[in-house]
Amino acid sequence: MRLAVADEDLSACVSCGLCLPHCPTYRVTGEESASPRGRIAAMRATHATDAPAGPEFAEFMDLCVQCRGCEVACPSSVPFGRLMEGARATLARETAYQPRRRRMGYAVLGHHRLLLLASSAAAVLQRLHLVPARLGLPRLPLRRPRLRPGDTAGPGGRPIGTAGPGGRPIGTAGPGGRPIGTAGPGGRPIGTAGVGGRPPEPDAWLFTGCVMDAWMRPTHAAALRVMHATGARVALPGPGGDCCGALHVHAGLRRQAEALARRVMASMPGDAHVVVDSAGCGAALKDYGALLGTAEARRFSDRVLDVHEWLAARAGRLPAARRRLTGPVAVQDPCHLRHVQQAHQHVRTVLAPYADLVELGDDGLCCGAGGAYAGIHPAMAQEIRARKVAAIAATGAPVVASANPGCIVHLAGAGLDVRHPVDIIAWSLDGG
Amino acid sequence: MTGRPQTAARTDRPLEDFAAEIGTSDPVVVVGGRTQWGVGGEPDPTAREVHAPRGVVAHEPAEMIVRVRAGTTVAELDAVLAEGGQTIALDPAHPERATVGGVLAVGQSGPRRLGWGPVRDTLLEARFVSAEGRLIRAGGPVVKNVTGFDLCRLLVGSLGTIGLLAEIVLRVRPRPPVAVWLRGAADDPDRLRQALFRPSSILWDGIDCWVLLEGHPADVEAEIKAIGPGFDPVAEPPPLPSGGRWSMSPSAVRNVVATLEPGTFVAEVGVGIVHESTAPPSRRVQPATAALHQRIKANFDPTGRLNPGRMVT
Amino acid sequence: MAGVASGEAACNSARQTGGVTDALAAELSAAMAPDRVRSGPLELTLYRRDASLLEGQPGVVCFPSTTDEVQAAVTIARRHGRAVVPRGSGTGLAGGAVPVGVDGAEPVVIVTTKMDRVLEIDADARVAWVQPGVLNLDLSRQVAHLGLHFAPDPSSQQSCSVGGNVANNSGGPHCLAYGVTSAHVLALEVVLPDGSLALLGDLDPEPPGYDLRGAFVGSEGTMGIAVRIAVRLSPDPPAVRTVLVDFASIETAASTVTGIIAAGLVPAALEMMDARITSAVEDYVHAGFPRDAAAVLLVELDGLPAGVEAATQIVADVAAANGARGVRVAADEAERALLWKGRKSAFGAIARIAPDYYLHDTVVPRTRLVEVLSEVYEIAARHRLLVVNVFHAGDGNLHPLLVFDRREPGVMARVLAAGTDMIAACVAVGGVLSGEHGIGLEKRDHMGLIFSDDDLDAQRRLRLAFDPEQACNPHKVLPSGSGCGDLQSVPAGAWI
Repeated sequence: MRLAVADEDLSACVSCGLCLPHCPTYRVTGEESASPRGRIAAMRATHATDAPAGPEFAEFMDLCVQCRGCEVACPSSVPFGRLMEGARATLARETAYQPRRRRMGYAVLGHHRLLLLASSAAAVLQRLHLVPARLGLPRLPLRRPRLRPGDTAGPGGRPIGTAGPGGRPIGTAGPGGRPIGTAGPGGRPIGTAGVGGRPPEPDAWLFTGCVMDAWMRPTHAAALRVMHATGARVALPGPGGDCCGALHVHAGLRRQAEALARRVMASMPGDAHVVVDSAGCGAALKDYGALLGTAEARRFSDRVLDVHEWLAARAGRLPAARRRLTGPVAVQDPCHLRHVQQAHQHVRTVLAPYADLVELGDDGLCCGAGGAYAGIHPAMAQEIRARKVAAIAATGAPVVASANPGCIVHLAGAGLDVRHPVDIIAWSLDGG
Repeated sequence: MTGRPQTAARTDRPLEDFAAEIGTSDPVVVVGGRTQWGVGGEPDPTAREVHAPRGVVAHEPAEMIVRVRAGTTVAELDAVLAEGGQTIALDPAHPERATVGGVLAVGQSGPRRLGWGPVRDTLLEARFVSAEGRLIRAGGPVVKNVTGFDLCRLLVGSLGTIGLLAEIVLRVRPRPPVAVWLRGAADDPDRLRQALFRPSSILWDGIDCWVLLEGHPADVEAEIKAIGPGFDPVAEPPPLPSGGRWSMSPSAVRNVVATLEPGTFVAEVGVGIVHESTAPPSRRVQPATAALHQRIKANFDPTGRLNPGRMVT
Repeated sequence: MAGVASGEAACNSARQTGGVTDALAAELSAAMAPDRVRSGPLELTLYRRDASLLEGQPGVVCFPSTTDEVQAAVTIARRHGRAVVPRGSGTGLAGGAVPVGVDGAEPVVIVTTKMDRVLEIDADARVAWVQPGVLNLDLSRQVAHLGLHFAPDPSSQQSCSVGGNVANNSGGPHCLAYGVTSAHVLALEVVLPDGSLALLGDLDPEPPGYDLRGAFVGSEGTMGIAVRIAVRLSPDPPAVRTVLVDFASIETAASTVTGIIAAGLVPAALEMMDARITSAVEDYVHAGFPRDAAAVLLVELDGLPAGVEAATQIVADVAAANGARGVRVAADEAERALLWKGRKSAFGAIARIAPDYYLHDTVVPRTRLVEVLSEVYEIAARHRLLVVNVFHAGDGNLHPLLVFDRREPGVMARVLAAGTDMIAACVAVGGVLSGEHGIGLEKRDHMGLIFSDDDLDAQRRLRLAFDPEQACNPHKVLPSGSGCGDLQSVPAGAWI
């Protein structure tokens, strides 16, 4: 079965095996089929024949977390993520690899109001103890805070999704989303208000995403709080800017991912930076250029920054800590921040003034969250997590900082106190 | 300095002559300096005696190797090595009589094993005569080699029971600029070992410790400071009691010597050899391991003609 | 690359019928656990090769987790007339873990990766007992807090297993001063080819009997499977200096190597990289390797501070006397680590130059490096091939890599011919076939260049003492014909 991969990419692997210890599933199993080298060999074997790929192949591909730790470990820089996405796209297109049940799950992510409703409903069921624990869901929020412009209370903030269309404050112009703080008494006044009714260009957009917005909106509020503290004007995406499509790309559902990418781009027009506080979403947004292959998408991707990357460039403008956590904070690098965006050092730059940081001794090995992975392969995800938990325990740090919602939820599931770095900074800025 | 051998060949006879002397039949026993004659049992007195060829074939300082005939005495070898500023830690008790081949065949390391490693690791290439009287080569004249199975390691300590050494190539090292023995009272020799980085030797008789430090003068001086007061330079290490050579895990030495009278033994600290006057009890070898020994002997010397009377176990 | 796993190159002449394999798999499954015995066709494909270019064909792959299970796997395989092929991480470069069976029956591959525990650490005695699947670097990391490390450090040390190191008697840059794996293994518990268990060597310095430990280390899986390994741990040196020296020609770099050794130094490591590989590596690590250098030397000196300082000065002086363009001493541990990461990534970075490489591992006298290197480049040019050199210069251990794209018609024949010429050139100056990668399947037919029939016969006698039926990793190390008439030679198709 011809896979949607480039022959050059497949041939770039010399089978040296230097990737093996950097692969979380190989670390658990010690098996070639669960290693980057073995997966590439399986792709080659499949790619070379006309026979349809069997269940064995789909199984090998599906067990990959897509952490891409192998990519940075590879001296020849084999583009493993691209290969895996291509293999899965072929499987999704030509086989029953993604069953209807899974496809529906991914589809919901692009319908934000539906997702929020479903999440709230699940939260209620959780309180009634009607959600089986084996699903591994975190404790879902019954209510979500409104995201506000700046750090002052008031109706000026745009409540995302929950309030329906009516919740959108008047005066928001165009399809391109509304810069926060231009209207409403609570809004932070902006000195350089635009003329002619056009909203002024914001300094940055904060991308809010799907699941993270449903489950962890307080972290967005903290990100806004910290971004505002630098003196910047921050806008939230307009309609459609609510799912980056990363999970769809990982699942091989490329068409859906492309559609979502176009919506996200339209939701944040202009030239301002697109700031992302979810490492997985940030990596996806930065890859739109490759996904869509258009100049417009490449320009958009160039605007994307992880929140820590953006903050690190403005670190001098951040106020000093008013309180600090007692005890050290272990920094856990989300794979898509460390291996894909390679922006993990910025977390340390930004967080260091607010906490005593300690490093993990595991070379940034994946924690097993992997977007939807922990839900699809819970047993493997937990075995992978055990190694991470041990690495964290070895530091003795009571708090873990992690810049990705998937990692936070997955690690919290092991009973750890995991916080997003911007939550720690916002707490520190707010004083006690 | 070039790759030319530092020494011209000073050898007595070709290796082929030695092979011919050994021949293809009748028991033969190879005689070196007779300094370790009893190890593994006295050889059968009726067996025909042969002597390995002598002489240093080539010392190549720039390669840090020396090619030497097995019958050469250790003292002669070391004198040649010294001309090139190098040495090897074979360290037998009687270097003027002990032969290089004999030291390797017995396989016992000297008191510098802690810092220099065991003698078995110095053997790079061996030419030996098989039970069929054939000249066989194992290993090669380079410092790193995994070409084929490691017969060299097998030959060291085999007491000439699977082949008789004729010529060998050894790895040698630069002679250290400074070497000094220190002696002082010590009831915890392991403390010294932990305090020093790769000392060449630590000997202990239950009362005193002797420490050999070798290397750059400033480093040796610093290590002397690290040992602390109470240690003074001495000319040489203590004489080693003969009669009993006990081998044990280095961490077991403390407990074993606790049963011995201090001053009657000398322990090689960090190595696990204890020299004293009584012979150690013979050790049991697992049946599967013993079977391997027997098959090796049978495969190399089916008629048992090489060094009869000597047994490795 | 489509051909890599396409089945064009099965090593074995016959495939077993499914029924026989099923019965074998069922018995193995009963002996360990069903999910640790695999016979799916795609999964077997993944075990057809290691990091070499050769391919075989496994019949069944199993993953024992205990000594009992290894013994059971060996016993069952033998009962079914199958050979066993031990495998660690599969990073070997000579085809040692490529599965080749006997009598047309595909072998049982026994993978030790699930036996990955450090069993016991005795910091006082500086010894650790480990299972064979423990990764080399993991072991050093686990004892780092004690100020100790496991000295053998092959470039694949992050991935390769200690069991694999034992099988290959692995080396690495730091073996120049500290010796190869054999010098760091005290004892082994081994499952012999008949399924029995034997202890080779012991924790004391002079265990009775032949040095079976020494005989087993480097036997490339032909004498059994090590299931517990007692390794020596070395104290970390108090002082370390890593020096990068930059040269305008290969010759001046090589003569500097000779000069350093001749000056009476034994550096901890002394490595050379030529221009092409230096650039490829720099693309990956960004360590500041000079891209315009014809060759660089990476020299590491360790020990006590004064000796290290003096030695560093000697290295700088020798380099200057030989016309080095620059000497850079790593300022801190991070810079040192980066330089080493570059050196150790070299083989993997080859794909930046071409998708395939064929690697040799000869050792030559250090004083002959200059002439041998120039001959290596000449041979490559004669065969219209690109060669890059990255190697352990201090012990004369060359690693000429012929880099190519196997999709180019006829290139493989030129590669093999050039390889043979290079080996011949090295042997002519007194060199040997392999310094650390082993002979495996790939270099066994060159053994006759080094050893006479009598020499090889002696090696075979040792092997037969351990494995009278030659059922453990058959067809490896010794060339066919050395005393065993029914050894079949590897068909030409085995070269990919």
